[in-house]
Amino acid sequence: MYHKTKGYKAFSVINQIFLIAISLACFLPLLHLLAQSLSSKAAVNGNLVSFWPVDFNWDSYRITFDNSNFTGSMMISILRTVVGTLISMFVITTAGYAMSKDFRARNALMWLFVITMLFSGGLIPSYLLISSLGLKNTLWALVLPGAFGAYNLILIMNFFKTIPKALEEAAFIDGASFFQIFRKVYLPLSLPGLATVGLFIMVGHWNAWFDGLLYMSSTEKYPLASFLQTVVVQGNGQNMALSQSEAEAMSQQSLKAAQIFISIVPIIAVYPFLQRYFVKGIVLGAVKE
Amino acid sequence: MKKTVGILSAAVLMTVAIAGCGADSGSNNNNSNKGSDSSAEVTLKDGKYDPPITITIAKQQDENAGKYLEGESLNDNVLTRWGEQNLGIKIETTLLGSDGGNYNTKLRLALSGSEKLPDLIPIYDTTLANDLIQSGQVKDIAEDIKKYMPDRLKEIYKQFPASFNPVIQDGKVYGMPISPNLSEGEVMLIRQDWLDKLHLKAPTTIDEFEKVIAAFTNDDPDGNGKKDTYGFTFSGKDGYNTGWVSDPIMIFSAYTGKNIVGQWNMDNGKLTYGSIASGNKEALAKLRDWYTKGYLNKELATLAAWDALADFTEGKAGIIVGNPWMYDSVKDVEKNVKGAKIAVAPTINGVSGERTYQTKQYNDGVFMFNKNFNNMEAFFLYYDKLYDAAFGTGDFKYGYAQGYDYDIVDGQVTYDPAKFNKPLEALQMVGKMAFTKNTPSVDGPGKSFYDLANGTKPDNGVLIRADAFSPTFKEGYVISYEERESLLPPAFNGAPTKTMQTNWEQLNTMEKETYTKIIYGKEPIEAFDEFVKQWNAKGGEEIIKEINDWYSNASKVDVMSKMGLN
Repeated sequence: MYHKTKGYKAFSVINQIFLIAISLACFLPLLHLLAQSLSSKAAVNGNLVSFWPVDFNWDSYRITFDNSNFTGSMMISILRTVVGTLISMFVITTAGYAMSKDFRARNALMWLFVITMLFSGGLIPSYLLISSLGLKNTLWALVLPGAFGAYNLILIMNFFKTIPKALEEAAFIDGASFFQIFRKVYLPLSLPGLATVGLFIMVGHWNAWFDGLLYMSSTEKYPLASFLQTVVVQGNGQNMALSQSEAEAMSQQSLKAAQIFISIVPIIAVYPFLQRYFVKGIVLGAVKE
Repeated sequence: MKKTVGILSAAVLMTVAIAGCGADSGSNNNNSNKGSDSSAEVTLKDGKYDPPITITIAKQQDENAGKYLEGESLNDNVLTRWGEQNLGIKIETTLLGSDGGNYNTKLRLALSGSEKLPDLIPIYDTTLANDLIQSGQVKDIAEDIKKYMPDRLKEIYKQFPASFNPVIQDGKVYGMPISPNLSEGEVMLIRQDWLDKLHLKAPTTIDEFEKVIAAFTNDDPDGNGKKDTYGFTFSGKDGYNTGWVSDPIMIFSAYTGKNIVGQWNMDNGKLTYGSIASGNKEALAKLRDWYTKGYLNKELATLAAWDALADFTEGKAGIIVGNPWMYDSVKDVEKNVKGAKIAVAPTINGVSGERTYQTKQYNDGVFMFNKNFNNMEAFFLYYDKLYDAAFGTGDFKYGYAQGYDYDIVDGQVTYDPAKFNKPLEALQMVGKMAFTKNTPSVDGPGKSFYDLANGTKPDNGVLIRADAFSPTFKEGYVISYEERESLLPPAFNGAPTKTMQTNWEQLNTMEKETYTKIIYGKEPIEAFDEFVKQWNAKGGEEIIKEINDWYSNASKVDVMSKMGLN
């Protein structure tokens, strides 16, 4: 009957206030951005917009969708996210399945994987590798280098480990091959884990901008995040050589707001569909019944 | 455990082997790193290359991403097509960077030998220019300039000998400044309606300036009965000399003359650093006084140059200083506030009665050329054509491409994109599609505007374009040209010296902090003297010595005559 006590009630109220405050802190900036994107340029440049649009208009959205570069970048981002997530999931689940078993080289392999978590070659070797493999200016430069993540592997591996061995043995006796067991027993049973890791990877791909800037040598090959980076993030303030037209481009705050907002929408739209799997949560060790 | 070690070492060996291959093929590429074409077979027929040649370029493109019309792109647009058809020169961007930092990173990666350096490399960073020279990958072009540079360009380059400094080493010339031109200076934008209401005039001295900003703060210029306005908005986030918009340098220069903050200046035959000049102490005392009385932006030290405009646009601040085109960026105040009117005025004079000075770069970056590039003649042909738009001659008399940056409607040339035969959202700045970041200009600080104001008929692109701007905008440029004496290029434009590389960042931070703390009243005025002492002790003195050595070296060899630019 703990929830009848005064202390618990007080805690509950404070807790809810606290959580509401945190969600507002996340939500209000978005609302501000939305208001800016629906306001006139003059109002935005004069700091007059807070959470409600001033001089309501759709201009910024119209201009953005008329811009073939924006829409093209969006297509690249979507393609990259889909292809990248599929490849990553394939690599990680198959590796995770194997690593959840006991075999002789397992520990050695695990060491190799963990090393990649702690150390990376750094920018220059990675770049040299990608360009000598001839991946520059292709989609592969964006999806292959990060396809395998040791951290995600450990998550998935631990998920597979929680599945009782008896299930596998039963399937084996019924004549299933390893690959069938993997597909028909393991994957369906670990949907929560797959959904969570899949979402991590998806969001990672959607928001990655640096690799696009690094490996692409023309603007129409930029994914959306890279495109926004060039449009939204300004140089380091000391822009003495800025010409008038560049200055004008900089003062399009309402346009930038629209572009940022549009870029957030698709990835937010994915969340509700994966929500039900998160309830199950993810296991990083320890027992969860 | 043994097994683990075995497998690990095997893996390590494998990676080394693979990396080795990579490095090998990289260096092979470099050895076979030929220019675009060997120059032997290239022939110029009636000003056109046949067969066509390709010049590969590196490009830094910011703010500009996503600014091509439908069906055009970085390597296939109205200007590249023009170049192929008319000159037989194909321009191809093989290395693209988004902002300055990203561009420099990519160039450094290219230098590491992973790929071919482009034929033509614009560089916007003196350290990188120096590294390229050291790498031996770029060409000495003194002879080429002498041989191929057209006379009208030579005339321009002759005016700016110091702009070659970053690319000169041991009497060799490893590049050239990108379209050198002393562009527009800064003007003061003031709320004319406030001045009228309070019966004041635009200030011309520090005392008048103080009177005006005091009135703007205390006498309710917007008549709303609240004390919600103030006099002067500027940016202090990146130091106290922004050089373009929201600039406070005028106040400092009023007390220090040519020794302006954050810049190396020539003072009695010796280069010194402006921020340690004694006059700054008085300037800081003044700003501190204004700050405590509320005449300035309360958050000036956290405002970036662009953000400081917002208060003016909102109708809260009365004065802002910056390039004349800034008017276009703040004129929305006339929409936000009923009856608001902006006037332009020249910057004020100093306490000694002399004018105040401001920083002005001659050029934005330098061109450098791959040492295997043999088509310098083709480059100069193209470069000279780009200048047609600046001179208002030849193919580009009115602009680069009809329907992009100008149009002819009913026999009239127009630069208003809304009036085009096929209306556009904004002008397409075609000049940026070539290898310069900005369209070349020979207009100086606003000569065309000055000529128009003095009765010249607008008969070429430059003049018609200038004529199409709003009256306030034009007035700003006329003032900028009349006040061109105020423009002060930095006397030091070489790569950071030895001590600078290690200590400059720290000295710079100390300078910004001291200035800000004094203005905010967190430290006494005397903190300035302490700062100068510290600055000298922590490497400043050493740097002054190194910079003066650099200067005597830079002015020792007469490279200008080597290039035929004397």
